[in-house]
Amino acid sequence: MLTTFLQILVSGLAMGAIYTLTAKGLFIAHLATHRLNFGQGDFLMIAAFISMSLLLAGLPVILTLLVVLVALGLLGWALERFAIRPLDRLGARGGGAYSWILTTAGAALILQNVAELIWGKSAQYSPPLFSSGRDNVIMIGGVGLFVEEILVLVLSAVVVALFYWLLFRSKWGRAVYAVAFNPEAAALFGVDVKRTVVLVFVAASMLAGVSGVLVGPLVTVHPHMGLIFTIKALAVASIGGFSNPLGVLIGGLLFGVAEAFSNYFDSSFGDLYPLLFILAFLVVRPSGLFGEARKDVR
Amino acid sequence: MKKMEKEESTVMRRILLGATLLALGTLGAARADAEDVKVGVVEGLSGPPAIVDFGESYLQGIKLALEDYKKNGGKAGIELIVYDDEANPQRAVSLVQRLLQNDRVSAVMGTVSSGNVMAFAPLLQRAQVPLIAGPSIATNITTDFIDQKPSYIFRCSMVEKYQIDKMLDWGVKNFDKVGLLHSTTGYGNFAAKAIEEGMKARGQELEAVEAAAPGVSDLTPQMIRLRDAGAGLVLNFHESFELPYRAMPRIGYTPVVAGNWGLSSQKVLDIVGRDAIEGTVMGQALDLSDPDAAAFDKRMREVYGSDYRWPVVAALGYDAGQIMFKAIDQAGSDDPKAIRDAIEAVDGIDAVSATPAKPFSSSDHECLNADDVFLGVWRDGQVVQLN
Repeated sequence: MLTTFLQILVSGLAMGAIYTLTAKGLFIAHLATHRLNFGQGDFLMIAAFISMSLLLAGLPVILTLLVVLVALGLLGWALERFAIRPLDRLGARGGGAYSWILTTAGAALILQNVAELIWGKSAQYSPPLFSSGRDNVIMIGGVGLFVEEILVLVLSAVVVALFYWLLFRSKWGRAVYAVAFNPEAAALFGVDVKRTVVLVFVAASMLAGVSGVLVGPLVTVHPHMGLIFTIKALAVASIGGFSNPLGVLIGGLLFGVAEAFSNYFDSSFGDLYPLLFILAFLVVRPSGLFGEARKDVR
Repeated sequence: MKKMEKEESTVMRRILLGATLLALGTLGAARADAEDVKVGVVEGLSGPPAIVDFGESYLQGIKLALEDYKKNGGKAGIELIVYDDEANPQRAVSLVQRLLQNDRVSAVMGTVSSGNVMAFAPLLQRAQVPLIAGPSIATNITTDFIDQKPSYIFRCSMVEKYQIDKMLDWGVKNFDKVGLLHSTTGYGNFAAKAIEEGMKARGQELEAVEAAAPGVSDLTPQMIRLRDAGAGLVLNFHESFELPYRAMPRIGYTPVVAGNWGLSSQKVLDIVGRDAIEGTVMGQALDLSDPDAAAFDKRMREVYGSDYRWPVVAALGYDAGQIMFKAIDQAGSDDPKAIRDAIEAVDGIDAVSATPAKPFSSSDHECLNADDVFLGVWRDGQVVQLN
């Protein structure tokens, strides 16, 4: 019974780690600009497709990851430059404060169609990252783990730690917080606001890139796989409260584990319960796990 | 003054538009003569890998049958109009409407997803245009219409009930505990209901019933339940055939898996791997040890090379094509009603699959009979008959 419990826990944690990485991108963009990319899941999809193509072409994993990071970084830059920044210039003529929802979701639709053109409409399988078969299992105390899952867990822990350090210890992190607090004041103190915002979107998009490379071999890859990841990442980020990197980590892992256990207890509605849980949670704590109920959560 | 001018020009424009539409209408209504018969083919050619595999293989069979028809001096000039329904029911319905209204086809063939066929079959029955369905397998596709004399709905494919019956007969005899894993789609729920009823009719019960949404990525929790229920046989009726296999090595569970004939696809072998798929059982309707089937298999390999992946589905597509083209030939016109009558009466088919020489009658619109379906099993990377 204990091993069953641990086994479900572990497979839930692995999926939860993916949600965490994706949600991290939403969190960082929201923190700095109060905006986020409604196509975060579709960025992940593009990353999964690029990494699948490169792996199938025989490129080593490290090189694949690098190429994906560069490509997604560029995509993040383009998103900020063409879908978000022009709205600021337009101001009220740009349709008000929430136009970015439409432009980022629109960018997501474009990406889906581009993916259909390049890779076709069919679902495909990405080769495993480190082995020839799909059955490379490591047993730890009676619990079977795929090598890919261990990698997902380790990497997401590393990325979360790195982000924690970047945000709270580095100069860039302080710039992000300064811009988040008040862009004009930050500019007066010598912070390059534009550059900080661009970097935030590049980083967010790279996080989707890492998730895409990792999740590719675990699921079927197809042009419309992104939406469900966007939804789950939004749910996770809102448990985390959108303002605390640790909250996002805990929210992501909780969501993954809740999903795995709800599949164990009632598989017919496995996807339903975690989302219901979040709905109920947000009724009780609208500002999330670590969010502070303030007028402006920045 | 100005306003009146404007109104006048609007009226003129309307008249012109009306005339153009009328002209277009007459043009469209002009049926091609008997020399030129259009057959619409709707297949799932993109979407989930298993669907694509079914759709492409069936279409390969139809195309080869048309080639043979022409080579053997067929009288009618038959043209295939092929559309991809992407396994999407709405799209399938609008494609069939397009085939009926714009392309003015005399008959239709297709498609993979049973739900799609169930969605457009009533349209064809109402329009009195014959359909040879395939490779869809839901039991009620032909039986729902057979009482409407005459029924325009035929099928050349596996029938779900036949393969489930065979599987349960074998399952209850060889295993103490049987578990079921199905998807939460229309197809999965329908199969689950049929299996539960089938088990009851055999005086048994399923040890565990697990479900999963179509897009899930991990079935570990469900497989743990099946393992803990002690199921030695897992009936796999999830569209992502490969998913249950993934979880097995990590939880040390090695049941026998049996399921939909989709499990015999080359694609499943490629994804799951030769060792993991070994011993998996599925419904089948083509025995490659039969010399005719082997000859067909060899020919398909020559014509389509590595694109040819699935003997049984291609064979049924080939036989469906043979029946359709022979019937059109005998009807001697592009009249859908005449073609329907000819399909029902067609005789002397030299089928590759187990389809008899005279497949249909007014009370039977299925190519295959219950006895033609048998169980196949993966052995050393090949599907052979289970004994």
